[in-house]
Amino acid sequence: MKKGRLLKKHYSLTRQADYWLGEFAVMASTCQVLLDDVNAAQADSLTALAYAEAKRIEVKYSRFRDDNIIARLNRAKGRGVTLDGETVTLINLADLCFQLSGGLFDISSGVLGKLWHFKQQIQLPSDAEINALLPNIGWQQAQWQAPLLTLPAGMQIDLGGIGKEYAVDKVAQLLENEMRLQQIGSAFLVNFGGDIYANKLRRNGAAWQVAIEDPQHLGASKLMVSLAQGGLASSGDSQRFIEVDGQRYSHILNPKTGYPIAGGPAQVTVYAQNCVQAGMLATIALLQGEFAEDFLKAQDCRYWL
Amino acid sequence: MQLKNKTFTNISLTLAAATCVLATPAMAATSEPDSWDIDAGLLIYAESDDQVQAYEGALSITKRIDDERSINVKAVVDVLSGASPNGAVAQNRAQTFTRPSGNGSYTTAAGETPLDDTFQDTRVALSTQYQQQLNRLWLYSGGANVSKEYDYLALSINSALARDFNNRNTTASFGFSYAYDTIEPEGGVPNPGVSVDDPDNRLEDSETKQTLDLLFGLTQVINRQTLMQLNYSISDVSGYQTDPFKILSVVDSDGWANDYVYESRPDQRTKQSLFWRTKYNLQPSGQVFDVSYRYFWDDWGMASHTIDSKWRMPLANSHFIEPHIRYYNQQAVDFYQVYLDEGQPIPEYMTADYRLGELQTYTIGLKYGFPIAGNEFSVRLEYYLTQVSGDESLAKGAGMSGVDLYPDKSAVMLQSFYRF
Repeated sequence: MKKGRLLKKHYSLTRQADYWLGEFAVMASTCQVLLDDVNAAQADSLTALAYAEAKRIEVKYSRFRDDNIIARLNRAKGRGVTLDGETVTLINLADLCFQLSGGLFDISSGVLGKLWHFKQQIQLPSDAEINALLPNIGWQQAQWQAPLLTLPAGMQIDLGGIGKEYAVDKVAQLLENEMRLQQIGSAFLVNFGGDIYANKLRRNGAAWQVAIEDPQHLGASKLMVSLAQGGLASSGDSQRFIEVDGQRYSHILNPKTGYPIAGGPAQVTVYAQNCVQAGMLATIALLQGEFAEDFLKAQDCRYWL
Repeated sequence: MQLKNKTFTNISLTLAAATCVLATPAMAATSEPDSWDIDAGLLIYAESDDQVQAYEGALSITKRIDDERSINVKAVVDVLSGASPNGAVAQNRAQTFTRPSGNGSYTTAAGETPLDDTFQDTRVALSTQYQQQLNRLWLYSGGANVSKEYDYLALSINSALARDFNNRNTTASFGFSYAYDTIEPEGGVPNPGVSVDDPDNRLEDSETKQTLDLLFGLTQVINRQTLMQLNYSISDVSGYQTDPFKILSVVDSDGWANDYVYESRPDQRTKQSLFWRTKYNLQPSGQVFDVSYRYFWDDWGMASHTIDSKWRMPLANSHFIEPHIRYYNQQAVDFYQVYLDEGQPIPEYMTADYRLGELQTYTIGLKYGFPIAGNEFSVRLEYYLTQVSGDESLAKGAGMSGVDLYPDKSAVMLQSFYRF
């Protein structure tokens, strides 16, 4: 067998200093699976498994496709759609986050992206444009009686704020199950574009070292976080923001006003039991703007600003 | 800017409760170490024509001490009964043999293969094996065995080291084992080449045998689906290797056996073997093909080829079936002879034991496994056919005309395993 890089159709596998690195691009992110103590064949089959699951979730929930459950919901024009079990749990979580964040976490706010696309944008959208969209935003208008979801005509939802973290936890769960079946006791770390889950301490007794990118200096790390077991998620405008007339506008939008949240930290990183929990806490914290840290302090969680 | 503060409620716990429903990786890693694996097995082996019957019960307990270390203890109890060929040739008249113990005699009817009916034994074996990952690349294992039956005691120790290379795609291993066996036949050790009827046919009370085995192994991951293994082993056996229960007929020119003498084997034997195995795991169906070939040779002139193949097919709901086919072909040792001629000098080494003669065996079997309460249960049924071959024209004269010098032998084995 050749040493080093094995190129496959959808993912690559590379031997690093003391672990295997499986990589693929799914959900517009670089997705990595780090496997501490497995052989090449095991690394390959586990990466293949991770890729297949991440791809499945992307295909099922991408808002850029017209053949999945999200597309059916967004096309339903006021008719109810019956959801499968997995989608029910995700909508339940989105509904809970909407309640817990006082309406700031809203899966129906995605339409604001038409006005705030943050790509070479030099002009702010007009109040009139924003006001025209606001009636279509507001999860409280949706009728949610699991498993039946009825969105008012004109409302669109997307699960982009949950999907990646969910994929991380799902992939981690699959890897653990598969490792138990194969009787592999390896440590692993799943990293989907900064949303992370690690299952346990590495074989050498050390925790995984995760670099958190400095929002002020892209590509440089601001701090290192030791992660032995649990989820880590970052939320912020490090990559997506615009500056107009010297003012920085975050891509974190307030669904109530249609404007970016102001005064908040550039980035929040949260540690929690799993990746979805960490991701929701980080996102809801950022939605608090200048009160982000107050929110985080009340959560009894480890966080980095 | 005015300093503001805002009070928030803690939503972490609510979120934790909600998210653990989505996926539950956080709780999974708990039960791995400190676990016990128990395998229990029962085996029934029956040869045709009421020859050897064996019942075996085995219990194996593996305790994982931690991620690096595990220990296994195994106990086996065998109960054997029945009769096995004593080495004498069939005759066109009844034959009477003194029992190897010297107590009494038994008679074989005309035309029948003489079977020694004293074969009856209970064997108890205990073994323990310890395994430790010394570091990321080195694995050590060591163990000890003791096995006792009525007239036989076997003691052995073994030790092995394995090291991973090439990003853990290659594993090289080296192992040795040393065994010390003592045999104490009832009535004493028979005097080789001496007539069974000779009153002076017994030597010491017991004999011993020592075996040193060395094994060199190489396992290579070929790709995601394929694993290959190559082993070489060399074994040096010194000491008493004769079977005290086996005899040879001394036949006159008319084919009549007028005397029987105890067999004799060299007390030195060097055995070597080369083993090659390929396992292929077909994805996504999960079928596993396992094919192996072994070439064996020794300085007694024996050589053998074994081809073994298994094909495991997963069925729905964790059931599986596994057909098994094995072919074995053996060339006789240099001193094998089906009988001795009267009037010729008694050779130094001689045996008529068909197990050292020319033979082929065919095995066909099927294993079926399924889960019971989350544990794996399986049953295996196998059929063996042993075809002994040799020069048929040696059946000479009136005493042996029409007798089958090399009778075939078949056996059925039923085995069940339960792992929990």
